Amino acid sequence: MKRFLSLVLALVMVCVCTTALADIKVSNVKVEIDAALKEYAAEYSKTAGFNVTVESVGGGADYSGSLKAALQAGNMPDIFVIEGMGGYNVWKDYILDVSDTEFAKNTSVGFMVEGKCYGFPVAIEGFGLAYNKDLLAKAEIDPATLTTYSALKAAFEKLDGMKAELGIDAVVSIATSVSGGMTWVTGNQNFSTYLSCGLPYGDMTIIDMMREGKVDTERLTEYATYVDLLFNYADQEILVNGNYDQNVNAFATGKTVFCHQGNWIDPNLAAFENCPPMGFIGEPFTDKQEISGLMVAAPSWYVVNAQSPNKDEAVKFLEDMVATEAGQDYMVNKAGMVPAFANVALEPSGDLSVDVMKASAKGDIYSWGFGYMPDNFGMQNLGPIFELLAQDAIDVPTFVEMVTAEFANIPALLAAAQ
Amino acid sequence: MQATTAATSSRPVSMRRKVLNWVKVIFAFLLFLLFMVPFILVVMNSAKTAQEISLSPVTAPSNWGQLITNVVNVINNPNFSYFSAFLDSAIITVSSLAVIVLCSSMAAWILVRNKTWWSTLIFMTLVASMVVPFQVVMLPLVQWLRIAGDFIGIKLNGTYGGIILCYLGFGCAMSVFIFHGFIKGIPLELEEAADIDGCSRAATFFRIVLPLLQPTAVTVLILNGIWIWNDYLLPLLVLGSSGQVQTLPLAVSMFAGSYIKQWDLILTSTLLTMLPVIILFLFAQRYIIKGMVEGSIK
Amino acid sequence: MNALFLAPVLFAFTMVMVIPFFLGIYYSMTDFNGVRTDLTFVGLKNYETMFSDPLFLHSFLVTVEYTVINVIFVNVVAFALSLMVTSNLKGRNFLRAGFFVPNLIGGIVLGYIWQFVFNNVITQTAASLGLNFLTKSLISNKDTVIWAMSLVNVWQYAGYIMMIYVAAIQGIPANLMEAASVDGANYWTRLTKILIPMMASSFTITTFLTLTNSFKQFDLNMSLTNGGPAGMYMMKAVKTSELLALNIYNTAITKNMWGDGQARAVIFFIVLVCISLVQVAINKRKEVEM
Repeated sequence: MKRFLSLVLALVMVCVCTTALADIKVSNVKVEIDAALKEYAAEYSKTAGFNVTVESVGGGADYSGSLKAALQAGNMPDIFVIEGMGGYNVWKDYILDVSDTEFAKNTSVGFMVEGKCYGFPVAIEGFGLAYNKDLLAKAEIDPATLTTYSALKAAFEKLDGMKAELGIDAVVSIATSVSGGMTWVTGNQNFSTYLSCGLPYGDMTIIDMMREGKVDTERLTEYATYVDLLFNYADQEILVNGNYDQNVNAFATGKTVFCHQGNWIDPNLAAFENCPPMGFIGEPFTDKQEISGLMVAAPSWYVVNAQSPNKDEAVKFLEDMVATEAGQDYMVNKAGMVPAFANVALEPSGDLSVDVMKASAKGDIYSWGFGYMPDNFGMQNLGPIFELLAQDAIDVPTFVEMVTAEFANIPALLAAAQ
Repeated sequence: MQATTAATSSRPVSMRRKVLNWVKVIFAFLLFLLFMVPFILVVMNSAKTAQEISLSPVTAPSNWGQLITNVVNVINNPNFSYFSAFLDSAIITVSSLAVIVLCSSMAAWILVRNKTWWSTLIFMTLVASMVVPFQVVMLPLVQWLRIAGDFIGIKLNGTYGGIILCYLGFGCAMSVFIFHGFIKGIPLELEEAADIDGCSRAATFFRIVLPLLQPTAVTVLILNGIWIWNDYLLPLLVLGSSGQVQTLPLAVSMFAGSYIKQWDLILTSTLLTMLPVIILFLFAQRYIIKGMVEGSIK
Repeated sequence: MNALFLAPVLFAFTMVMVIPFFLGIYYSMTDFNGVRTDLTFVGLKNYETMFSDPLFLHSFLVTVEYTVINVIFVNVVAFALSLMVTSNLKGRNFLRAGFFVPNLIGGIVLGYIWQFVFNNVITQTAASLGLNFLTKSLISNKDTVIWAMSLVNVWQYAGYIMMIYVAAIQGIPANLMEAASVDGANYWTRLTKILIPMMASSFTITTFLTLTNSFKQFDLNMSLTNGGPAGMYMMKAVKTSELLALNIYNTAITKNMWGDGQARAVIFFIVLVCISLVQVAINKRKEVEM
């Protein structure tokens, strides 16, 4: 007994003393690029003179929590991700100014605060209503005409009447549930439609009102009516209960004509044999103007931990990702992302990514506003309201009322985060 | 079941009894099956591809060989490092248990054998602390461990040492309480005899008292062992969800919690997580049940 | 020598329990957000806002509901099982072990398994059998989610409580029951007049065990429902199955309101202290009666 115990104690002592640390730790929030990024980091480590390890955190909601736990645990990564001003305000003590880097000079969508660049845009991403080209053609609907709420509504009605003919379960695939972890789609992305769709790129009118806790009731009502339309024609099971996979799979297998998602589903679609050709339309939430563009932004940025002893190596890793052939190959071909840098000439292969690239080349894009909301506000506070609308527990006016009530808390939340 | 009073002849009664008994046995085993359904589903669906699962989760798998494929896939999945998580869980559980049993029994012995104001105070504080839910201390704990770790120069967050310290801190109250109750019953004469024979006090404890504590130690081991092995929130906060040291529950939740729900792999990963505990239970059933029941009654 | 033997326990206990406990009370009166280092002392503000936050109030009520359901069902099921496995049934040891097994598995893992059962197995089976009322998952329906979660908890916990009852039943002298049987007492009379009164003290134990355990539920809640689905309470969108422990975690960590979360945790603690004081009082009275 005694000998056993001393053995165990010795073991404990050894364990306490042998927790080695990797040189550079990258924290990644895009699960879909996890494998590609890890592979690139491993390859890179062979020649860089330091090790790069990647840790991916799945599902939006966990990320800032796990980052905080990592901070408390003294495990703060050298490179981590922020998704806008909300995150910037929380973490600004830990974010390095990277204005002098080459990558900052090669991009127009770095994370900028007061003229200084703090973030490396992970990718250009776009979302909207992805559609199945074959099914729309079969229903004789030209996607180019779907630029207003009325046009979309008419198309939905027509498609809904042709369910059997088209072999579909529902018109739209969109998921909202808290338990399915889908509030990032509704509370963050879809809600950006209200914040910035149809406005000139980077227009802050609605966002500034939001920061003061005010809503544009007319615009919000229009938007809510549009959301309600999507929900009414959605596959109800996926809508109130589905997760990311069900959301995407129904679309990929031709069970729905539309899917509310972004170009990041390209790799998921590619995994299906005989996946039909897909395209993108925007979010036509209004009849007042034509919405032809997509919601496109660099939604997340790598930031370098300013308090890390390895910050120079971390910057070098990011520099090389943009400057070297291997890095560019990783971003575009392996990870399937639309790069945000002028010096990268490669083009992505996925249908949706190509549409995003075309839209941004034409400048036919609207920004994402959700990053300006308080940290996690979209998912925690707005997400459940979308779910209620999806369940038909509330109607459009109540939705507007509840969002308005939540907005009233924003100034206090923003002030607390300053 | 009012068989005995009304019966005039014994034969029909025993027939009725027999039938009744069989009904009872069948009912009991149906109930048992119902309890086992979730486990059966896990095993069955761990042997299917994702497509098969989505077609029908209740039919038997067409090819049990798929189980091996899934296990290999899970083990090789970059987002789920089974072996290292298993090893971390094992190291943390075994070391914490050793430390808890040794330190708590030592402390309990001192507290029993010294009847003064301070021993009462310490004992009562420990007992009172059992009411404190983890949520009250969890947030300041990680903060404090970081400050204290910086101060003494040993990293406490994210390390084996730190989490073992936590388990000792959280596990000691109940363990001291259980040992305390048992040591009270050990006759003092035994120890006095050892003292006369020239044993030091420390040697008396290790040679005389500790061996006597074995049955109680089993209770303490089981109660703490099951808690530590399955614990989620403390490792989440102290080790971080994606740190260097990662226990099995953390690994599973990281793997299953991502929004890409591949049930074939998730179920296989839960199967792999449950397996060690169930195997242990099959071998040490008697001790485990006894330990858990005694621990709760005391 | 005394100090040396006590040192490890006292050191660890002070480090992880005593200091954080008092720090926590301090944090509950600040506006700490979990990251920033400069805190402002805000007095009892966090306690005041808590009781006007529908999310917290709802969470509190749901936790009470969940606790009541579980105290009743876990104990009823466990007692029935204990009667079954102490009767002269073939294979009763095997049954005992089987009912006990769910208890060995952690809540996180069980949550994922049951998520699969509720979302995939039950819905699909119901669809193929034409049982329309079950095709919608029980954990995405706000009227059934608490019951579904309780079902899992009963399944997990009943075997353990059963074992405590088994120990109590086996502690009753066999000749007592035999004597009653010979005297012509039927099963029901023996049960209510002898068995249950003899087991009174273990009922107290199991009631409080299930009470505190359901009240503190976290792991299962997080992995099974994560608080969903959304529901309405006092004109606010709330998460219908978010129990207190998860609410504390989300408030503090996901919403960056550590101060508020910590204040909720202190209230949580006070409730548990009250429950324990009641238990102690009942035990004291029992001892006096005996």
